[in-house]
Amino acid sequence: MNAEVYEEEYSVDGKEFVSIGIASTKIKAALKMLGIPSDLIRRASIVAYEAEMNVVIHGGGGLMKLEVHPDFIQIVARDEGPGIPDISKAMQEGFSTATEKIREMGFGAGMGLPNIKRNSDRMEIISEVEKGTEIRVAIDLRNKD
Amino acid sequence: MKLCEVIDALNSEVICGGDGERNITGVITGDLLSFIIGEAQEGEIWVTIQIHLNVAAVAVLKEIPMIILSSGREPSSELADKCQEENIALIVVKESAYEVCAKLKELRVES
Ligand SMILES: Nc1ncnc2c1ncn2[C@@H]1O[C@H](COP(=O)(O)OP(=O)(O)OP(=O)(O)O)[C@@H](O)[C@H]1O
Ligand SMILES: [Mg+2]
Repeated sequence: MNAEVYEEEYSVDGKEFVSIGIASTKIKAALKMLGIPSDLIRRASIVAYEAEMNVVIHGGGGLMKLEVHPDFIQIVARDEGPGIPDISKAMQEGFSTATEKIREMGFGAGMGLPNIKRNSDRMEIISEVEKGTEIRVAIDLRNKD
Repeated sequence: MKLCEVIDALNSEVICGGDGERNITGVITGDLLSFIIGEAQEGEIWVTIQIHLNVAAVAVLKEIPMIILSSGREPSSELADKCQEENIALIVVKESAYEVCAKLKELRVES
């Protein structure tokens, strides 16, 4: 393993709707511990929380991974849920397949993936129907200005 | 306005007092979490009818100092505990979201 890379994995329980955020809270704590600038922690926390919500609500649980490289933070969320048939549609603001019941609990604005995009520098979704979904998001540590 | 002044001006059940000295920058209302994550600005009051723990998680993410539960919605104990831990003000009002937002507008809380 590369000594310069900090790496940690967290499992995400798919049944615990009310306590979503356990993995993203740990991710935030790890970034704080590593001394990452607070504006980047804020963006990474939003990314992690939205990704975790999707793993729970749509994916039925899975795992999350944090990697801190010298130049960027990478957050990965993976599940073996139903997959996303049309990724470009899923990326549209307001598109959601959440049921009415889930929406009553406050999920399903169709804003999660757009929020992830807005708070990241790079984002990639790999998904296969009936196999699962993996989302990989990067946030650059050094802003070129 | 300061957060404590807003609390004083409303007729509410105060679950957590939060940081009374915080300056309020505005008000947002909504019951869909990702909408709030996308739209809320730091320092805003959030008016909602959602009462579960995730409300506090979103408030922490967006640095929202105060949550108003409208229509008399009582928070889950997990939400109340988390707001206490994070020093986020949490109050319950009898009025609807519409009525409480109108009241906040009248108070000009952002000034
Ligand atoms: N891990 C996943 N597995 C299967 N489908 C997914 C997954 N993540 C997202 N999707 C699909 O993409 C859609 C859009 O996702 P997005 O996060 O933007 O909105 P949402 O989760 O429906 O609502 P919100 O995030 O606003 O609460 C979802 O409704 C769902 O159909
Ligand atoms: Mg989502």
